[in-house]
This record gives sequence, structure tokens and C-alpha cells, in this order.
Amino acid sequence: MSYFSEAEARSIIRDTYGQVHSDGVAVAEALYSTEELDRLPRGAVTLALGVGHPVRHAALEPGETVLDLGCGAGIDTLLAAQAVGPQGKAIGLDMTPAMLERAREHGAQIGLGNVELREGLMEELPLPDASVDVIISNGVLNLSTRKSRALAEMARVLRPGGRVSIADLVITEALPEEILKSPAALAG
Amino acid sequence: MLKKFHNVGFEAVEVVARRPFGLGELARYPLFSKEFLDFLRGVVPEPRHGELVYSIVVTARKPGERTTA
Repeated sequence: MSYFSEAEARSIIRDTYGQVHSDGVAVAEALYSTEELDRLPRGAVTLALGVGHPVRHAALEPGETVLDLGCGAGIDTLLAAQAVGPQGKAIGLDMTPAMLERAREHGAQIGLGNVELREGLMEELPLPDASVDVIISNGVLNLSTRKSRALAEMARVLRPGGRVSIADLVITEALPEEILKSPAALAG
Repeated sequence: MLKKFHNVGFEAVEVVARRPFGLGELARYPLFSKEFLDFLRGVVPEPRHGELVYSIVVTARKPGERTTA
């Protein structure tokens, strides 16, 4: 159950992520290897806001097309683009224009030509049926008020035999209601 | 969450990584203010401060023969 309507949730999330700033690397260093971080732009590293490492578990192969749902400033999109190489493609999707602009800058900074960035919602993916090989996402699915719809959209755009690798937060024991009603908790 | 993957037709649904995510982890994120973290410390019982939620990675596959781009 969500205490926020879909429109309220999107507004809170857009505002929070559109305004976030960070100079720290604590999140990135907890999730990624030094070798991975060394080949990424500083801005993508300091704005790592994920909760896991979906690329590590995606078994990406050269030439594959990868969709990163809720790409944020691009850290996983860029790692995926590096993994699939110039014959492949990484598509970063986000509903926050400010984050997409950052991801665009970060991709350009390391000269990756196989990154495509799109504004859109995970519940209404702006992609054709059966058009991607792998979907990754990092701490984003929990932000949706329509998770089953988002998962159905993932299934639609994946090719037969396609894979997903989704990092997210789950609750194993009920949280106090005050937290569930908090906009700050929703955005995180 | 895993049931939702099955419900839309995914197969080989598996949790491949799982670790506790507590207030210490949340404090790394620029998304959360000191005031919000203090609020959490106040409303969450202390034994749960180290494992407020869990971070997981789920992998799954869409049924069918793999095709190439």
C-alpha cells in the first residue's frame, strides 16, 4: 500500500532527484570496484544512488542491447555500455530531465558512442516490443506505485530469452507508519 | 516482490545478492538529510537500526529461445 498517489510520488521523486548534489563517493565505493570507478567520470561516481550492482549479475555480452531503468546520472548505464562494447548499446531511461542531462554529460566525458538516453516512465516504456536483450535497474522499482505494471513493461520490451538484473530494497518486517508516510522515505 | 516477477511471466527468478541495509548505509546517501536520519533513529527500534531493509539483486529470464538483435 502506498500513502501517495502516482502523481504525488512522481512529483516528490522528480524534485528530490532533480536537486540532489553530492561530492562524496561513499555510495559508489560501497558498491563498485576501484577498477570500475577508475574508468568512469567523477560526476557519475559521486551521483551513484543505487543500492546494489545489477551489472555484475547481468552477464552482459558484447553486442547486446541493455536498458537501464531509472538510470540517474548514468553509472550503471556507462558500465553496461562498456561491457557490451561498440557493437552493443546501453539505453538509459529516466523520468527526471536533470538526471538525464547529467548522464548525457558523463557519457560524453568518456567518449562512449553507444549510449542512448531517453526520458520516460518505467510503467510506459518508450520502446518497441522485444527490442532489448537485458534490463538492469538499481534502486528504482521500489519508487513505482505500479510495480506489476513496470514488470509487465519489462517483459514486453525484452526479447524472448532476455534477462533482467534488478537491484532494489525490500522490507522483511513492517516499518512504522510514520516512515511510510514520509516523502523523504518515498524518494529514497 | 519475487511473486510479481512470476506473475508477469518471468522464469528462473532468483535472488542472487542480499545484504542488510541499515541507518549506517542510508547515511551515505545525499538523498537523506540529517533531520530525516534523526527522525528514523527516533521511530525505528534500536535493534533494527542495522537492518532497516534489505538490498537484494533479482535476476530472471523471459521465456523463449534467445534471438539476436
